[in-house]
Amino acid sequence: MGIARLLAWLVAAVSIGLVGLSLVLDQIASRGGVPGTGSRWLYPFLFVAVAGPALVGATLAARRSGNRVAWILLLGGLLVAVPLAAEPYAKIALLAHPGSLPAGAWAGLISDSFWPFFFAGPLALAYTFPDGRLAAPRWRPFALVAAVSIPLLVLLVAAMDDPLGPPFGAVGSPLPFTLPGPESIRTPVWLALFATIIAGAVSLRARYRGSAGVERLQLRWLLWAALLVPAGFAGCLVWGAIAGEGGDLVLADLLAAQAAAALAVGVAVSRHGLYEIDRLINRTLVYAVLTALLGACFGGVTIAAGVIAGRGSSWTTAAATLAVALVFRPLRSRVQALVDRYFDRARYEGLALVRSFEAAVREGHVAPEDVGATLAAALGDSRAELLFWLPETETYVDATGSPPDQAPDGRARTEATRRGTRLGLLLHDPALSERRDLLASVLAAAGLTIEIARLRVEVKTQLAHVEASRERIVEAGYAERHRLERDLHDGAQQRLVSLGLHLRRLQRSLPRQARIVGPALGEAVDEIGHAITDLRQLAAGVRPARLDEGLPAALADLARGIPIEVEVKAEPERLPPSIEAAAYFVACEALTNAAKHASASRVAITTCRDGDRFVISVQDDGVGGAKQRRGTGLAGLNDRVEAHGGQMRIESSRDAGTLIEAVLPCAS
Amino acid sequence: MIAEDSALLREGLAGLLEDAGHDVVARVGDGESLVAVVAEHAPELAIADVRMPPGFSDEGMRAASEIRSRFPSTAVLMLSQHVETRHALELVRSGGGFGYLLKDRVLDVDDFLETARRVASGGSALDPEVVATLIPAPGDPDPLAELTPREHEVLGLMAEGRTNAGIAQRLWLTEKTVETHVRAILGKLGLPVSTDDNRRVLAVLAYLRSPSS
Repeated sequence: MGIARLLAWLVAAVSIGLVGLSLVLDQIASRGGVPGTGSRWLYPFLFVAVAGPALVGATLAARRSGNRVAWILLLGGLLVAVPLAAEPYAKIALLAHPGSLPAGAWAGLISDSFWPFFFAGPLALAYTFPDGRLAAPRWRPFALVAAVSIPLLVLLVAAMDDPLGPPFGAVGSPLPFTLPGPESIRTPVWLALFATIIAGAVSLRARYRGSAGVERLQLRWLLWAALLVPAGFAGCLVWGAIAGEGGDLVLADLLAAQAAAALAVGVAVSRHGLYEIDRLINRTLVYAVLTALLGACFGGVTIAAGVIAGRGSSWTTAAATLAVALVFRPLRSRVQALVDRYFDRARYEGLALVRSFEAAVREGHVAPEDVGATLAAALGDSRAELLFWLPETETYVDATGSPPDQAPDGRARTEATRRGTRLGLLLHDPALSERRDLLASVLAAAGLTIEIARLRVEVKTQLAHVEASRERIVEAGYAERHRLERDLHDGAQQRLVSLGLHLRRLQRSLPRQARIVGPALGEAVDEIGHAITDLRQLAAGVRPARLDEGLPAALADLARGIPIEVEVKAEPERLPPSIEAAAYFVACEALTNAAKHASASRVAITTCRDGDRFVISVQDDGVGGAKQRRGTGLAGLNDRVEAHGGQMRIESSRDAGTLIEAVLPCAS
Repeated sequence: MIAEDSALLREGLAGLLEDAGHDVVARVGDGESLVAVVAEHAPELAIADVRMPPGFSDEGMRAASEIRSRFPSTAVLMLSQHVETRHALELVRSGGGFGYLLKDRVLDVDDFLETARRVASGGSALDPEVVATLIPAPGDPDPLAELTPREHEVLGLMAEGRTNAGIAQRLWLTEKTVETHVRAILGKLGLPVSTDDNRRVLAVLAYLRSPSS
């Protein structure tokens, strides 16, 4: 542990020890008949007002001992703690139990003269926050004046007060000499101090205007702490109007502001939780205004009820309480909206956009997947893009379900979650990272919509996978048929031809006298011929070889093999092989249906290409009544067509024939 | 010469042709060597399989069109395992000296040898199965409706490339009767009467292809 750190903790410990001591002494003094500075409930406020800066300062200094802001906090706290402890000490030593404690007059002098030091800490912060340096060289004279005027004022007060100020008016100064002269000598120093206070505020404001990024957020933290002072005053005024007593409250507020300022500085310098500031300011504003309004409401109702029911009636309090309870919720949302609107327009409008989008989704006007565009608009970042999380594959995809471009493009990433579940990832401008509150609230407001969109994208992606795999299976089936057909032709059939040819040659080489063997061989070859024909038909059933020549040729062959009249009107245009095969099998099944079940006498097969759709329809004049039933050829046909992303339609009423139509997508 | 990737069938065919007194000058197993060998030997007739190595799609057919354009004196007879009309019709139409048969036609040895002879001497041959794909079934609303069933049969045989004599033999008719049928058919279809067998085939094929399909 370095000396600086040790010193830091030592200063903090002394400050806290002093304020603790001051509270104990104050208690003793008031027992001894000398009233304390305020009510006893102010004690915790007093304690945190000193302990806050001391602890925060020590913690910061322990981390980085060179941090000037940390030492400002530490010394500022000490300078407050010293007179705070000196006053009750002097009260005991000089008034309550005179002579019981040593150096009472010195304590009285300190208590009497040290109070200008109260300004030291806040003023130093105003000039040097957050980096411990002046905002610009031009502030140097003002800072110097401040640095001189405060100790000068302390010295002047200490040197001129003889006897000491109240409540020690009866005690003479312990100093060996005193400065004569009128008190008005101090006035210019006072004015100089006030001038530097104003200049400090102006410097802070200038620094805030010129700030960006982290520094701006740091300054906002300080701003928030400063905000507590007027907010507290407003609350105190209201409370004073109602309860009739507000002096101690103002004091409590100032003390709390001191502690809050220390806390704010701690957050700002350590940068831990730095980004919460906007929400904090927002909440503080909302609750300050809300408290004031509710107080006014309470007061108003109390007065009105007092006029009606008579002063002091318990009814008035009850009525006022009821009124406050009733208006609390609506008032809160109104005030929130109002604060959002005036102090954070971006957030207000962003949330309004998200809400109207959610309403549009609920009414079915827009698809939830478009939420990404709404987020981009709500955040004012045209490059913002929302990706959805697919837990199954552990990947992010865009709204169309396709994986995004992985190349880093300088966009920052913020995860969108809802109730601890990962929903997606927002890619956005890094500048938005400084508005974490805006990001968080917009994402939270859109949470439900994002979740719905994510589910829809997930279902869509899974469905696409299933469809693609089904199509692959069907196409593998076609390929298998193709292979089988080829194997039949080039394998078995070829061998039979060779065999027959050999037998035939054998037969022809026999002498004419071989009357038994010759004809027998002839019959055997004829049998082989039949076997070949059978085999060829079998292969054609597996996959007609003429599909290689196009659908019209294959359909014409098909029509020839059916014992009923078939008219084929097929366009000669070639299509992807799998589409031609699918169309062929549609026609095949429909013809089988017409011939076997429909007792049709005429069938018309028509194909036509309509842009990227291919339509094949088969109309017969049979008895109708065809249905897709599980396990039937027509149902299998439907599966086949759908596997290609197509649709099948069957129109079949009794005695009106059957129309089977398949629409197949075919990209050109 | 013979181009056929199945050695068994290739040797069988060669034996058959040699038995019938023909000279088999070369036997190859793929389309490329077929063209090379034709260039070397200039045979009267090349008998080739449609599907051959390396791709087993239509190497034989492509070699055939190359032969027909580069070596018109060599006739080509294609053998196929299944009906395929696309290239066959183009080649038949491009002139005589080309035939297309299903492989199992070789089992009908006499008919096959006769067809081979006809193609080698500049005639045409088209497998009945191929012709069947061109001729609408009887009873269909088609321009052939006016033909009698017998004339229908004769038309099919004409399309196969057979001569009047061949048709007569097939249908157990006299050549004179066939001639009468042919004249009637050509008359009904409005086609020119020609004694040149090859030109007759072309006319019939052209007629069959154009209006109905």
